[in-house]
Amino acid sequence: MTASTPPHLPKARLVAVGGGKGGVGKTFLSANLAHTLARAGYKVVAVDTDIEGPNLHTWLGVKAPRASLADFVSGRESRVENLLEETPHHGLGLLAATHGNLAAAQPSAARRAELLAALRELPCDFVFVDCGAGAHPANIDYFLVGDEGLLVLHPEPTSVENTYTFIRAAFYRRMQLAMQKHDVRECVREAMDQRNDRGIRTPLDLLRAVEEMDPEEGQRFAATMKTFRPRVVVNEVASTEDIKLGFSVRSVCRKFFGIEVDYVGYINRDRAVRDAILLRKPLTEVHPESDAAVYLQRVAGKLVEAARNAGSSA
Amino acid sequence: MKPLSEMTHYDVLEIQAGSPADEVERAYRIAQTTWAADGLATYSLYEEGESESIRERIELAYQVLSGPDTKAEYDRRLEPGETEMDFEEVDLDLQFVDETVAGPSVDLVPAEIEAFDDAADEGGDTEWTGARLRRARLRRGIDLEKIAEVTKINPTYLQYIEQDQFEDLPAAVYVRGFVVSLARCIGLESGQVADGYMARLREHTPEKRRPPGRHARR
Ligand SMILES: Nc1ncnc2c1ncn2[C@@H]1O[C@H](COP(=O)(O)OP(=O)(O)OP(=O)(O)O)[C@@H](O)[C@H]1O
Ligand SMILES: [Mg+2]
Repeated sequence: MTASTPPHLPKARLVAVGGGKGGVGKTFLSANLAHTLARAGYKVVAVDTDIEGPNLHTWLGVKAPRASLADFVSGRESRVENLLEETPHHGLGLLAATHGNLAAAQPSAARRAELLAALRELPCDFVFVDCGAGAHPANIDYFLVGDEGLLVLHPEPTSVENTYTFIRAAFYRRMQLAMQKHDVRECVREAMDQRNDRGIRTPLDLLRAVEEMDPEEGQRFAATMKTFRPRVVVNEVASTEDIKLGFSVRSVCRKFFGIEVDYVGYINRDRAVRDAILLRKPLTEVHPESDAAVYLQRVAGKLVEAARNAGSSA
Repeated sequence: MKPLSEMTHYDVLEIQAGSPADEVERAYRIAQTTWAADGLATYSLYEEGESESIRERIELAYQVLSGPDTKAEYDRRLEPGETEMDFEEVDLDLQFVDETVAGPSVDLVPAEIEAFDDAADEGGDTEWTGARLRRARLRRGIDLEKIAEVTKINPTYLQYIEQDQFEDLPAAVYVRGFVVSLARCIGLESGQVADGYMARLREHTPEKRRPPGRHARR
């Protein structure tokens, strides 16, 4: 990829990077996808929302970020633009989450909404939002707000398990937010409990229940359900079996939950990744020829394609 | 977004309606690995009891679509207008998917895996590096050991080839033979790959290690 500037996107595209489990490569992907797109000439901002374990800045070679998301949360700074930090990489800005206060709180839901609205207004092409691990409501909200939600998965049972938990939690949360009538919302909330008395086990069961309660909400539910389309990346693959896991997960989501996910790519387990982080530099800068960097660029290509398609259909 | 009960047999196998027999076979094998009782992709979902009915549907779909007569009959009923679908009608002896089925050997890699490939990664005009060979191999799901077994090439040499570790490779004539065999195993155009790879090897090999014939020619 060279520095010839690609046509800019009309509006910042938010890409949230999440996943149920810790250490699966969310930050690795956020940083390196952001860097790949910046190198391709896009204007990119990478945002660390992992208040409890911020480290996105390290991948991007920023040692001691001067501002932090925590300043926005505490109200010390109300303009997100003022929190942006330059990185050594052309076209790539950072909003870090480091902070001196160990007791720093997660932002309230209202504050999160403000933050996300502000991120959309940033004058850039892509905003990558690196989410923390686990199905905590804050992580889910960051994940849901993206135009695009990337779910990072490891080819291991623990990660697969947490991925389903995360998809399910994100789905119910999205639906709850989309519903307008109180009793319907309540029904969605009850359905979150797998052992609910209504006999609702899957998103499709819930759709039927909502349609029965209120046809109008039912239509809204079905429409929102169509837009819920997480994209899966399998990281640290070491065999073809691992690569195929993405297809299997897609099939399971479709048949088990009635949820469509896209499988957008895989990245091999690569020593080059460790080499790069030890230098505190993006992989795509240190070893652009490594297999992992090539696979990363493919995923980045998919994101550009999706952004362009969304732009032309809007 | 259809519930299982409304899916056609083709939906269940995730293929286009009317797909030919080899597609059915391939899709079924993929579904088998996906839904195998100890499969990774269904991990944690089993206590919910539903995967069993999904496996039954997959078996049923396969039984119907793998028999030329039952498939023809089913396809006819799938024609637009014929909305009556009665899955239960067919009384079949269902087996479970984790029993290995002896069938024709089929390629278990979903066709879409190719959609991940940049055309450039396998196209003719870029250089054939070891890394590119390795990616092509991984994509097709072939292990290096398997290639070593088939070709009788020392696996260490195959590894050196993929890592562009030119200095540890034997004389160029041998390497060329290795690359040809490797490329053939992966299903690449072997002559072209070998030419590309050998050109790079020559560039990176110090003069003194070149075979004498090369100097004599100048
Ligand atoms: N493809 C890969 N090959 C080799 N190592 C990798 C790969 N991807 C990630 N890693 C390594 O795995 C570790 C965890 O990655 P990372 O910090 O990105 O995970 P995370 O999901 O953000 O974790 P957390 O949940 O703690 O935020 C890092 O040390 C990283 O270098
Ligand atoms: Mg992280």
